Formats: sequence, structure tokens, C-alpha cells
Amino acid sequence: MKIEFTLNGEPVHVEAPASITLLHLLREHLGLTGSKPGCEVGECGACSVMLDGRVVNSCQLLAPQVAGREVVTIEGIHAPGGGPNDLQLAFLEFGAVQCGYCTPGMVVAAEAFLARHPKPSRAEIREAISGNLCRCTGYQQIVDAVEATAARRRAQSEGRGQ
Amino acid sequence: MSERKYVGRPAAAVDGLDKIMGKAKFVGDYQLPGMLHTRVLRSPVPHARIVRLDVSPALAVPGVVAAITSEDFVGHSLWGWPIQDQYILAYRKVLYVGHGIAAVAAETPDAARAGIEAIELELEELPAVFDPAQALRPDAPQVPLESPTGQGNLCADIIVRYGEPDPILAESPVLYEEVFHTGRQEHAYLEPEAALAIPHPDGSVTVHYNGQSPFINQIHLCQVLGLPPEKVRVIQPVVGGSFGGKDDLGYQTSGQVAALALKAGRPVRLVLGREESMLASYKREPMSIRFRLGADAEGNLQAAKVEMLADSGCFSSQTTLAMLRASLHAAGAYRYQAVHVDTQAVYTNNGFSGAFRGFGNTDAAAAIEQAIDDLAHRLGRDPIDFRLQNCVRQGDRFMSGNVVSHEVRLAECLQWVRERSDWDRKRATFSAQSGELRRGIGVACYMHGSSLGGEGADYANTTLKIEDEYQITLTSGLTDYGQGSRTVFTLIAAETLGVSPERIHILRPDTDTALESGPTVASRSTMLGGNATRVAAEKLDRLLCYAAASALDCTPAQVARHGEVYVNPSEDEVSFEEVVDRAREMGLTLSVHGKWSMPHIEWHVESGTGTPYYCYTFGAQVAEVEVDVHTGQVRVLKVWAAHDGGTIVFPQGAYGQMYGGIAQGLGYGLLEEMTYDRGFPQALNYDEYLIPTSLDVPEIEATYIESDFPEGPYGAKNLAEPVLVATAPAIANAVFCATGVRHHRLPLTLERVLLGHELHPGRGETACRRALGFDQSKVEVIWQT
Repeated sequence: MKIEFTLNGEPVHVEAPASITLLHLLREHLGLTGSKPGCEVGECGACSVMLDGRVVNSCQLLAPQVAGREVVTIEGIHAPGGGPNDLQLAFLEFGAVQCGYCTPGMVVAAEAFLARHPKPSRAEIREAISGNLCRCTGYQQIVDAVEATAARRRAQSEGRGQ
Repeated sequence: MSERKYVGRPAAAVDGLDKIMGKAKFVGDYQLPGMLHTRVLRSPVPHARIVRLDVSPALAVPGVVAAITSEDFVGHSLWGWPIQDQYILAYRKVLYVGHGIAAVAAETPDAARAGIEAIELELEELPAVFDPAQALRPDAPQVPLESPTGQGNLCADIIVRYGEPDPILAESPVLYEEVFHTGRQEHAYLEPEAALAIPHPDGSVTVHYNGQSPFINQIHLCQVLGLPPEKVRVIQPVVGGSFGGKDDLGYQTSGQVAALALKAGRPVRLVLGREESMLASYKREPMSIRFRLGADAEGNLQAAKVEMLADSGCFSSQTTLAMLRASLHAAGAYRYQAVHVDTQAVYTNNGFSGAFRGFGNTDAAAAIEQAIDDLAHRLGRDPIDFRLQNCVRQGDRFMSGNVVSHEVRLAECLQWVRERSDWDRKRATFSAQSGELRRGIGVACYMHGSSLGGEGADYANTTLKIEDEYQITLTSGLTDYGQGSRTVFTLIAAETLGVSPERIHILRPDTDTALESGPTVASRSTMLGGNATRVAAEKLDRLLCYAAASALDCTPAQVARHGEVYVNPSEDEVSFEEVVDRAREMGLTLSVHGKWSMPHIEWHVESGTGTPYYCYTFGAQVAEVEVDVHTGQVRVLKVWAAHDGGTIVFPQGAYGQMYGGIAQGLGYGLLEEMTYDRGFPQALNYDEYLIPTSLDVPEIEATYIESDFPEGPYGAKNLAEPVLVATAPAIANAVFCATGVRHHRLPLTLERVLLGHELHPGRGETACRRALGFDQSKVEVIWQT
């Protein structure tokens, strides 16, 4: 069937089986392999994408369910020039990346969270990424990176406000 | 010594940019036109004779291109190290639920599945054995086709002999005797096993496999494919975690796709799903560990006897070597006059055990650190005081009888966690609690033998080459699967050469372009690969210094450096690029090879004596918990950790290893256990096998206490494995502090803490069969009555 939705700001029209999950539509029909299959039962969050600004497990959505809606994947998260944005750079700065398999989903989940929670506590950050499993980092440096990004974004917007 | 510019300074992981952008290519992300998809037929029973296996009906299925069994390999696909007891695909018998029997390659995943379902397989079920102690009985069903020891299911018998403990124990005024049990832990790397094989016109094959040790993979592939090394190339792509876990099943997977690709003449890929991975992959071995510890009236440890029994499952895999390490750490980081250890590893039909971060010491430390805590309690001593009184110091003997020859800062680690955790005040406060929620605080410490030691030849190779655009290419035979060694090597090369790390580009590990360096295991990369990199960089630096002296018209000894600029005594300067150009004009070849080997040591397995490791690392951790005595739930509130690992080269990476190790240790201590019910694993995905989330792992306060270790690269030792081993016993000891109950069994699940025993769901068989696709296939199992 034909599925139409907005992907990373661009309209897409794609022909795919009605039973395909959004994860496999992205990976196999649209060539976007940043979202990872980790469990395909909605437990690990490696396939996290934003759907209308909310983080969802793309392995648990059938592709037709996103018709007419807005999907943002890791490929849609970057600085204006296409390079890493401040959160992504903070992941590097704080050592929040080891094997990197959970990283795209983690960045997506953190961005979706920061958009709604500009002043989060560490406990709130932990809650926000608790649907994203990481086996390497013990999460601490991921929390550090998200916390620092929130603080820097606040400082920047306060700077602009003056 | 001049100030270091890169080693020990903040740095970003050299391969991090692709990962944060979602651009890093894992095997499952590759798309090759014409690539075939693989599916493996796996055993639905724990032990059976293969009566009939016919893959020809699979070839009649539309879309199926090739099908293989053990007959498509040399020697029925037998391989294994150190004991050859595995097959790429099962031969004559299946030994565990999930054992690969046949594989097909097809145009689509659906066609591959249909091909598997068309295979005709008849199995005659055999009596199976699931209890390691029962497996040792002479009348137990034998698991391996041939017993490697000639003693049925015994796969290894390991001893440590230091002095004579019996007479000392007979005289000891304080005798402690207890048994501890540890659980079977799943690695649960986020990326499951995956391999891609590309055949070439000359009959050679390239395998991309997401494991740890491409050169070891190449050796096994050459053996089972009957090809010389020049016809088998193994490339390590980006790896989504391993923790010791992607060896054996990965070598099987690599063999399967390589044989299918050579047969089909097309690229073939196999990507395991989570259920298939959890079913088929190996785990950390469950163990039972019996202690007899003797101390004098003043609380000085005197002697220890330890007996250990490990469930190796159906293959020996790395269990024999992990049990050597377990044996060499069994009595902990303490001073004794005599220690004997007797360890047996046993075959059963419970999946199989293999390498997992900590490699035997995770289990051994979990047991001895609870025992020591228990003994301190019985003596009425503070657990940290008791450890400080008995822990090894330079000049003492380790529990294996060898002298502690390097600086040891274990006592400082214990002191650090004591002070930071406010230990003394909390121990006093927590001793009188009666409510529903009770706080506890516990400690554990450890030693960890560095690198392979007595486990194998211990060396590594690095090459460096200056390219046309003045970039420097680095190759290492050791690999990075998330632990940060690519960054460590880059920083060491940059420091030694005096160039910016951005100049250095480290190639992917590849058997065609890097030099063999043994396996990437045992937390050996920083010391071995780091030293090889330092050696190579010193050679290249010396060559460039000749060129600089020539360009600056001075002697090499007069050449000084200001960053990348070379300077002579008259303050004339030449740039790195000019020096490289001059070196080329002089005819110098700007590529070098550095090799570094561990100083020679000898451990004698027959007598159980010698020096098992050249050096050790040490550390201590404290955990604070809150136990709900009505539900049995244990919440870890905070962990404090100190590790003595020599110089820290890449701090963000080193702390990441510490935090990640603690998270895995927390899982091992509280949540994670892969249980088998009559050979069927009881969890197949993250909804049943729970690993710690960001809400389970507490805030961690950690430090590295840097001891002096001149042989290491810039003084570095190692850290990746040992930082994990103290967490589980520290938590168990904290639970004891909170509740006054010692459980002797990990993990401390709700049921164990509340009831003192586990509950048996006993639901695995149907789920396993569904995951394996046996609800529809033509497999016929002749059930034994």
C-alpha cells in the first residue's frame, strides 16, 4: 500500500506492505539505518523515533499508523549545517558513547524529552531515558550529557532574551 | 617528565561522530545488491541423535539458493579452542536447545524461513543431564561425542597449590566453612550477532563479523572451510557490544555464512534476532564455590581451601580458561600462608557457557567477598578493617603463592571508598533498624591478573604509516567493540609522536591489513596494544627526528619540539609537513611496525604452581542499598568505586568502563539470571531477561588511584573487566547489613530476598519452540519414554 507521511521535515510517499513496521519501513524501504532493531518487542528503545514530537518504539508501530503524521529519526537530528548538534557533541564530550548501538535511540529520546523539559533534574532525565537500554555505559555519562545540554540551552536562550 | 598533551587529557572517542549521527554501519545496516538472507535450523530439544537430515527439499522452495549441513565442511565442521568439541553445524548429535543443525540462504528472509521449514529432520531424543554434580556421576549420559579428559562429562580439572593448608586449618582457632552459588548471566549486548560473507572470483571469501577477535575467527574459518589464510579475510565492522560474548556463536555464524556464500557465489548475511541470540548464545557459567577459611585469634587469615564446580554447558568453549582464572582468584586479594583450589568444569545440556567480562573472577570475587564479609561478621570485625588487615601489599604473596612484585594501592582504594561513602557513620546508624525499608552498606575489593597470563602467548602489534597528505594511518591487531581502545591507541600514538590526534586515522581491524595480535580479551588492549603503539611511534618519531635534524642543520639530540613544530638550538623552525617531505627526500620509509610482548612468566597447570600473571590491578567498591522487607525489593542508592589501574590514558572512556561495569555487576547481583528448565532457557528477550535500566543504576562516585607501573604505556595497566567484579558482592554484603540475612546465592532477586528461594515459572519449552519456528516445520522428534 502507499504510505504518506513527513519524515525528517520532508514529505515521503512510499509503497510498502501494510504489515511492515515503521522500523523496517525506515531501514529497508527508505534506507535510513540509524534506527536499530534490538529486541523488536518494544523493550530496548534502540529503534526510538519521534512521532509528532513524542518518542516511540518504531518496532511497535505499523507503518500505515504514521500516515499523515510527522516522524523524526536520528538522521533528522543535527545542527543546521548537517553536523552534530549540541546534544550530540555533549555525548562525545562526556563519554556517553561506547559501542554506539543504543546511541541513536538515546539521542532521539533525549531530544524529545528536552523539547518539553528545559530544566530537568537528573532523576527526571533518568526517567526519560528509562525506555532505552544501554549495556555499556551504566547511563551516568548519558545523564551528564543531557543535563549539560539542558543547562547550556537555557543559558543560550536567557542570553538571547536579554 | 614534560607535561603530557594527550594521554590522560579529555578526549572524544575517535569513532564517536558516526555513532552520534546514526551513520555508523553495523552488519545489519549493510545493503548489498543480490545479498542473500540466512536462516538456521536449530534444535528444539536439549539432547538428541540426528537420525536423518535432508536439506534437499529446502532447495526446492522458491527463492532458496543454497543449503548446508556439517557435511559441507572439512572434518564435519569440527573446531574449538582450547578444546575442539564444537561444530559449525551439529554433527551426529544435538547438545542443547538452539544448537544449529542446518542453514539456508535465500533471496528473502521469508524464503529462508520457508526453506528451513522444508528441511526434513528426524531426531531421536537422548537422556540429558542438567545438574553439574549429577553430570559427574559415572552413569550420567555423556554430553560430548568424545570426552576430552576421558572422564565422561568432566571437561576440566584445575588446581592451585600454595603450601599445605590442611595442617594450618586443623590448628586454626577460627574456621569458616560455607558454600556460595552464582548465576548464569546473559551478555545482552544491544546488537545481536551478525555476519556478512562476500565471495570473490578466486574462491576466497571476506567475512564481516561483529565479534572481538578477527584473527581467531580466521584460524577457525580456514580449518573448517579448508582454505589457506590468504583466502579467508575477516574484517571487524562496528560492534554493538560484546563483553566477551560474541566469540563462539559468532565463529559458528561466520562459518555458516562463509560456506553459504562460497556455495551460492553471492554475498550472504545472517542477522540474529534477539530470541535466537538469547537461545543460541553462551552465558557466564553458573558456579558453586565451597570455602574453608582459617584465621588466627587476631583475625589474620592463615589458610584457604576452595572447591569450585562450574556448569560449562554442552561445549567447553572458554570455560576451562575462565575456570583457570577463577581458580587463581578464588581466595581473593588476601595474604595467606597456604591455599589449595580444586576446580571442575562439567558438561551438561544447559546451553553453553563461555567468556564474559571478568572471566571467572566475576564469580570467584562474588563468592570470596561474601565469605570474607561473613567471616568478619562472625569475628565481630568491621568489614573494611578486616580487609585492610589482610589485603595483599607489595612484597607479600598472592593466594597462588607468587610474590606481589609491583606497587599495590588496594589499601588506598579501600580507604577512599570508606571516606567517600561515610562508611563508619552509616554502619553505626544502619545497625539498629526495624522498619519496612532498611538501609544497608557493604564493601567488596578485588585483585585481577592483567592480560592473558598463563592463558596464552601474550603480545600485540601496531603499524604506523605516514600517508601522502601527512595523515598517519594506524593499524592494530586488537579491536574495539565499544571499550575505547581505538581512542587509547590514537592518544598514545599522538603523545609519543608529538602530533595532533586528528592526524591519526585508525583503520578497522582486518586480517589483511593489520598484524595478528592474539585475541582481544582479558582487558589487555591498553597494556599490550598501547605498548605496541608506543614502540611503533617511538620508531617513527626517531626517523622524523633524523629528517628534522637534517632540515634544521643540527644533531638529532638538539631537535626540540613545540607541538608539531621541530626547533633547533638557534630557534629555527620546520613544520611536521616539511620534516615529512625532507624524510622522503632522504629516502626514508615512513612506515613502522611495533611489537610488544609481556615479560615471560610461567604457570604450571599440572602442579598448580608458578606465576600466573605478570601484574595485577586492584580496587574496592561500596554499595548502599535500601531493602523493602515486605517485597524483597533491593534498591541500590549509590555506589562508590576506586580502581588502581596505573595511568589512565582516556579518562572519559575509563570512567565509562567503570560505570558500565558497575551496571553489569548490579545486574549480576540483583536482576539477571538465565535459568534453564530441563534444558530450555526461561527468558528469550528483554521483557523476560531484565538488564538494569537508567532507573536501576544509581549515581556512581568513582576514582582511579594511579599506582606506579613503569612497564605500561605511560604507566597504564588495565581496567575494563576488574571494575565489574566488586559490585555484586558489595551489594550482597549491603543487603546482609540491612537485613542480617546471608543468602549465599546470586542474584538477589525479590523472591530470594523475601522467601530465601526462587520461584520456578517452568514455561520455557513452548516459547523456545515458537521462537525456533517449530510450530510449523517438518521436524520429527522421536520422544524417549
